[in-house]
Amino acid sequence: MASPLEQFVNQVRALSSSGNLRELCDLINKSGDILQKNAPNLDTALGALDIQEHSLGVLAILCVKFTISPLPDFEGLFSQVELFIAACNGEQIRFATDSFANLCHQFSHALVERKMSIRGINPLCHAIQKVQLHPAQLTSVHGDLCQLCLLSKCMKPALPFLDTDITDISKESGAFDTKHFLSYYYYGGMIYTALKNYDRALYFFEVAVTTPAMAVSHIMLESYKKYVLVSLILHGKVLQLPKYTSQVVTRFIKPLSQAYHDLVTAYNTNNPQELRSMVDKHRDVFQRENTYGLVKQCLASIYKKNIQRLTKTFLTLSLADMANRVQLSGPKEAEKYVLEMIEDGEIYATIDQKEGMVNFRDNPEKYDNPAMLQYLDEEMKKCMGLDEQLRKMDQEIAVNPQYVQKSMGIQDDDLGGSSMGSKMSGYNL
Amino acid sequence: MPLPVQSMLFQPPVEPMQIDAPPEENDNQPELAFVVESCSLDLESYAAQYTGLARLERLVFIADHCPPLKVEALRMALHYVQRTYNVHLYQQVHRKLQEAASSGVVANMPDAVAGLTLGVPPYDTDWVETTAKKAALKLEKLDTDLKNYKGNSIKESIRRGHDDLGDHYLDCGDLSNALKCYSRARDYCTSAKHVVNMCLNVIKVSILLQNWPHVLSYVNKAEATPEIAEKGERDSQSQSVITKLKCAAGLAELATKKYKASAKYFLQASFDHCDFPDMLSPSNVAIYGGLCALATFDRQELQKNVISSSSFKQFLELEPQLRDIILKFSESKYASCLKQLEEIKDHLLLDMYLSPHINSLYTMIRNRALTQYFSPYMSADMRKMAAAFNTTLAALEDELMQLILDGQIQARIDSHNKILYARDVDQRSTTFEKALGMGKAYQRRTKALILRSAMLKNQIHVKSPPHDSSSGGEASIAPGTNASNR
Amino acid sequence: MPCEMAGDTLDFLSLGASLERQELESPGGVATPTVYCQLLAVYLLQKDLNNAKYLWKRIPQAIKNANPELVAIWAVGKKMWQRDFPAIYTSLSAFQWSAEVKQIMAAVAESVRSRACDLVAQAYSSISAEDLAAFLGMSVDEAVKAVVERGWQADPQTRMVTPKKPAPAAVPPRESSQHLQQFTDLVAFLEN
Repeated sequence: MASPLEQFVNQVRALSSSGNLRELCDLINKSGDILQKNAPNLDTALGALDIQEHSLGVLAILCVKFTISPLPDFEGLFSQVELFIAACNGEQIRFATDSFANLCHQFSHALVERKMSIRGINPLCHAIQKVQLHPAQLTSVHGDLCQLCLLSKCMKPALPFLDTDITDISKESGAFDTKHFLSYYYYGGMIYTALKNYDRALYFFEVAVTTPAMAVSHIMLESYKKYVLVSLILHGKVLQLPKYTSQVVTRFIKPLSQAYHDLVTAYNTNNPQELRSMVDKHRDVFQRENTYGLVKQCLASIYKKNIQRLTKTFLTLSLADMANRVQLSGPKEAEKYVLEMIEDGEIYATIDQKEGMVNFRDNPEKYDNPAMLQYLDEEMKKCMGLDEQLRKMDQEIAVNPQYVQKSMGIQDDDLGGSSMGSKMSGYNL
Repeated sequence: MPLPVQSMLFQPPVEPMQIDAPPEENDNQPELAFVVESCSLDLESYAAQYTGLARLERLVFIADHCPPLKVEALRMALHYVQRTYNVHLYQQVHRKLQEAASSGVVANMPDAVAGLTLGVPPYDTDWVETTAKKAALKLEKLDTDLKNYKGNSIKESIRRGHDDLGDHYLDCGDLSNALKCYSRARDYCTSAKHVVNMCLNVIKVSILLQNWPHVLSYVNKAEATPEIAEKGERDSQSQSVITKLKCAAGLAELATKKYKASAKYFLQASFDHCDFPDMLSPSNVAIYGGLCALATFDRQELQKNVISSSSFKQFLELEPQLRDIILKFSESKYASCLKQLEEIKDHLLLDMYLSPHINSLYTMIRNRALTQYFSPYMSADMRKMAAAFNTTLAALEDELMQLILDGQIQARIDSHNKILYARDVDQRSTTFEKALGMGKAYQRRTKALILRSAMLKNQIHVKSPPHDSSSGGEASIAPGTNASNR
Repeated sequence: MPCEMAGDTLDFLSLGASLERQELESPGGVATPTVYCQLLAVYLLQKDLNNAKYLWKRIPQAIKNANPELVAIWAVGKKMWQRDFPAIYTSLSAFQWSAEVKQIMAAVAESVRSRACDLVAQAYSSISAEDLAAFLGMSVDEAVKAVVERGWQADPQTRMVTPKKPAPAAVPPRESSQHLQQFTDLVAFLEN
């Protein structure tokens, strides 16, 4: 009387209640075919399982349900997944992080296809929190969440995740792919860019661009272009990439980003006119590559950069003279720029309408007040915390048997002939 | 911000050759087109300072850039070139001369010069033919001689043979063959003297070819020979070799815009041993060295190495105007210094080696003057400053702005009251600012490193696309990572 | 004019968080017009124009069409984005706000005015009475009167107003024991 599906359900129940999760995982891995063949009856099977108690079984069934094409009842499946993510047993699913992540990928993919990205944001936030070992661990679901947030233009929910610096990556039984890593940092950079947190955006793009690479990935290429633009907006120049940047970037990615380099050259002249004509020259490229919005912000930033340069050289300057020097239409526009920059803390100045002058000042911060002291303390604490973290990592490596064996071995055959660096690279967990 | 859903596709490999050609700065700027309308240059005595190709090249350069002197310069060049085997150059100069004579340039010329040009010498077919023939004969003879020497394997004769052949090629204007011959002599050098001689020959041709790195490396080679490297008593001949080497190096540094290094080389020249008309004249040394020093030396260096240098003083006697300029500069009489500098500008622009650098050298000198002018002050009235520099307030403001941005002057401009204030740097605040900046940078770097270590642990890297096309563009995870993360 | 609304702002903050939650939990991913209106208004109050802009972009067109109030709120937002103070005041008073957003919009108006006032104080050493009035969204007389009360100087001859720099907000000094602890940590860190 027991059909294979019923047998599966029974075994899941038995193994779950005995707590034999390892064996349960094995069973599930072997049961793909059975579930696939019984696709129409999967809901019955789901009914016989409890989300909390038999999380692994439910997970397996839900994963299979996504493989049915076309999906017969998306709304039903959506609620099932939503409920599952909210109620599943974290301990159980961490035994099958790969399947759980896979479910999330399928889920968000289906939502993106149906242009309902916003609906996946809440469930995926929960999913990440469930499957992470700690908040600083990166999972492959992070990238999905960021993608949903970007596509739905609802970016705030991703920030708590993005703001946490990653120290560890979930292996997901080998299913965590470089693609997940790159898309997290790329989409994350895009979210920060959209919210004008350029400093953080630049960091995210930098991480994507400096990912070790033997070949060019499109995500890296796109990240590089955005790295260049954001760097211009933020610093007025392109910051040098770290030394560990892979050769692929110089060899292939840079030559593929000529329009952006031309833009940088034009920006370096400090001449808005020249920048504008370069923007016009490559307008098609920028529009095609969806960077035109950022490019226009570069154009706006060059005026501000020029005004900032003025503050370095002048104590007082008439608004008319300023408009002239930075190529603005007249004193009124210059006043508006100065006002905005004062409000945003980008320059220290006061406008004297009576004389039509601007007075530039140094940073009024005298570093002598309690608020600044507190800020300093906090910054120092952060540095100390990071230092502590490094120390721990160093210790972990030092006591790792493989490392000890390897470094001893090297000392035996090749006294001092090998640097620390080569020891490190030979060492993989 | 619309964002396409991107999958990780691999770019097809870019052509491998592209890798090795990083975009390089183009050093060879096109020659500046400029024209000097009036010049008091006495061509006759100017040309007399040089021999060989040096004279010819300089005359042609003047002809190209100074219409009033064009015809005269070309006539002199034409006359001189007939003393060589350089048929090709003769033809070139003659063509230029004909063009000049037939164009309107002649009409505009002052009477004195016009008189000279009335007859453009006719194209001397006989000379061209006989010279070409003679050159060929001589080449043949030298070639046979060299073969004979080689047959007898007498090193010294072979070396001389190469040198003679090189001289002949040079006389014919065939620089690349001249260089080859001179270089080949290298293998037959038996004494340090020979090596130095070979170096000097190569340097001479390399200068004409404007191959400056080559010039510098042969200068180094020559200086490394025991003959030159040895300190102590030096005979007059080695002194003159040293001076020639220093000047060649100075010229090469000047041409590659390393003005300070150039000044240092020229300042080492010995006036009594400065006799190499096939390369430079002593006045060249004075001007190149003096200008470069003025542009790059600080007050003390200028005083010690230029003004008080007994040997360089002799050079400067040849160019009294420049000497005055340098003295005025050191006496802080900037207005007249800069004015006089402006007066000799046309003259300097007609110097083929200096010409491309005049503008940057002048700017550097001016900037140095501005900086020095302001250095003792806490605040300075910009009106007075503008007067001291022969300029308008607006122009001065622009110049100062650039200098402040470049960090050459620590000051800020009160444009309202037209006063330049020395910048009062609050060390305490700057230190705090720097410390905070470093803290931020440290945090960022460390976070990136911690992340990177996690990446390496998890083998996060973009893999090469599989070379067999069957498996498509999919990136497969590396084996060996099956351990669960528990 | 210095408005004491810290308490209110806090309430609006938690209101914002709850509205954000409501939006994400809405069935089908589409929230009610009231949620959108309130959230948009709260973002404006928080001067969070980025999130306001993206919220506006993600609201379904049909809802925008059916709710003129939503459009009116965003009209204020747009002017805030352009920092066009006179236009902000005009757009704020151009609509009869419903009960759901009335309070928030009133707080927006108040905060814009106080922001404008602070900005003028910070950025100008002298400003014409007309420009000041435009910043504050008042008549010239009202504006001059209001700032004179704050201790600013007004010169009736030149019609120029000289603002008084705002005093830096006082931060209560910290407990010395806390200081000592921090200092000990630091020294311990440096010595290791």
